[in-house]
Amino acid sequence: MANGNDIVIETRALTKRYRAGILAVDGLSMNVKRGEVYGFVGPNGAGKTTTLRMLLGLVHPTSGQCRVLGEKPGTPEALGRIGTIVETPAFYPYLSGRDNLKVLARLASTPYSRIDAALDEVDLLGRAGDKFKSYSLGMKQRLGMAAALLKDPDLLILDEPTNGLDPAGMAEMRGLIRELGRGERTVFLSSHLMGELEQICDRIGVIKNGRIIAEGPLEELRHGSRLKVRAAPLERARELLDEMEVVGKIEQDTDTLLVEADPASTAAINRKLVEAGVEVSELFVAKLSLENVFLSLTEEDEPRG
Amino acid sequence: MDSLIAELTLLRKRVATWILLGFWLVLTILFAYVLPYYAYKGDIRFRERGGAALLAIMLPHNLVASLLSGFPFFGGTIILILGVLTMGSEYTWGTLTSAFTQRASRLKVFFSKMLALAIAIVPFVLLVFLLGFIASLLIALAENQPIDLPSAWQVLQALAIAWFIMAVWGSFGVLIAVLSRGTSLAIGLGLIYGLVLEGIISAFTNEITLLDYMSKAFLRTNGYSLVASLATTVTGGGGGPGGLQSSQIVSGTQAVLVLALEIVVFIIVAAALVRRRDVAGSS
Repeated sequence: MANGNDIVIETRALTKRYRAGILAVDGLSMNVKRGEVYGFVGPNGAGKTTTLRMLLGLVHPTSGQCRVLGEKPGTPEALGRIGTIVETPAFYPYLSGRDNLKVLARLASTPYSRIDAALDEVDLLGRAGDKFKSYSLGMKQRLGMAAALLKDPDLLILDEPTNGLDPAGMAEMRGLIRELGRGERTVFLSSHLMGELEQICDRIGVIKNGRIIAEGPLEELRHGSRLKVRAAPLERARELLDEMEVVGKIEQDTDTLLVEADPASTAAINRKLVEAGVEVSELFVAKLSLENVFLSLTEEDEPRG
Repeated sequence: MDSLIAELTLLRKRVATWILLGFWLVLTILFAYVLPYYAYKGDIRFRERGGAALLAIMLPHNLVASLLSGFPFFGGTIILILGVLTMGSEYTWGTLTSAFTQRASRLKVFFSKMLALAIAIVPFVLLVFLLGFIASLLIALAENQPIDLPSAWQVLQALAIAWFIMAVWGSFGVLIAVLSRGTSLAIGLGLIYGLVLEGIISAFTNEITLLDYMSKAFLRTNGYSLVASLATTVTGGGGGPGGLQSSQIVSGTQAVLVLALEIVVFIIVAAALVRRRDVAGSS
């Protein structure tokens, strides 16, 4: 395996088969570069959390290789430089938020002096003395983020960090993650929220059935822009477009058509429709959202990439 | 050292630790001194028949025999619960994930827990002897009896044996918590073993030789035998008052060796499982 300083997470044919025979991760290969915010997305049961757990040394791979920060996952050398939230943050319910962080700081050999700064960063300083069991889900999530920041880590591995947060909290958390991802620090972010990933991430990896089926910068993934056509009568417009060589797949969405076509052919399409007596009220190039990309990738039967 | 301090904090700040300690102290003093003294004072016929022997067992010179006999059963069961909570709660709350993703290795976290548990047992031992001494002193004063104390060496031996018996039960609790990855089942299984299984199997040892061999590996059998071996040297007869009876099934040396082997096996098996097994989410 390459071990360049620019690669923070590197997996090669990483596989995890549980004893029950379930293949959770199937030959997963990916690279995450230093300083980037990498979005890890996939449907439920795709293998995201198992992958995260393997990166942290919590789950042992059945086969394949994996290096995190140039180290074997789960070693003190690697863990000492990683801050993480895995699934719902877990803390001792009978301890206060601050005492929980003290325990984790001890286990991480990190000075207590960082605790208040971390609590302040997630806006939890005022409730730090309350018992964890009295926290709302959003507060628990923020404490999880504070714990992840305790070590001033080089790498943040975050699994659904905005779970349970209200819209304002989600926006704050997004801002915080964006801020944390600046400079040399790397963020590996697993989330279901496409909008969240779209706003934060430099690169996206899409996982399905334990394999990466697409990976790249957001712009690259959604390169296939489409034309959005609102016209009447719609059926006649569709018939006319079907006859055109420059037009590929056509999808109908209530009163509009989404047309796969080169944006340069927009004028030709408009002319054809108007000359045939179709009233065109809208015709513009629509960028694919990450959600469109995700759905089109994960709804296909055969994995690709 | 950092990990040990973290684990000690977890035990110290947990209410369950203090409840178990309080329960243990109350139970022991109740069965070793309060109830026997009540029986001694309350029933004149009983006092005339065997009261002098009962009173003697409650006096300070019999402190070691009176208190030690509570460790292999009551004390063991209570520390088993503490052992289960120490490790099992980490699975129940999912905090093992948090603990294992800091810097300390899995084995360091595990052995810090074991060491913290070993340290937490110390007040269980010391406080019960302190309260027992006060109770026996009060009884001696109330009954105008001589205040003869056991030798420092005898007390030291008793403290070491008491700690050792509790440590074996505690590590047994840790092992079943690791095996069951939680607290509820582990406490249930531990109590069934401690309160039921040993007793039932021991009842058939005269009829079935295999069960007789088996019973000689039991925690309670060896704990009682170890206690009885010391009590014999101290008092000339084994056993404590009230419900706290002990009997010697195997020799003291054999009991020490069996218990030492068991504590090593419990810890090694638990450590190997903690090190090797995947850590999934909370149960």
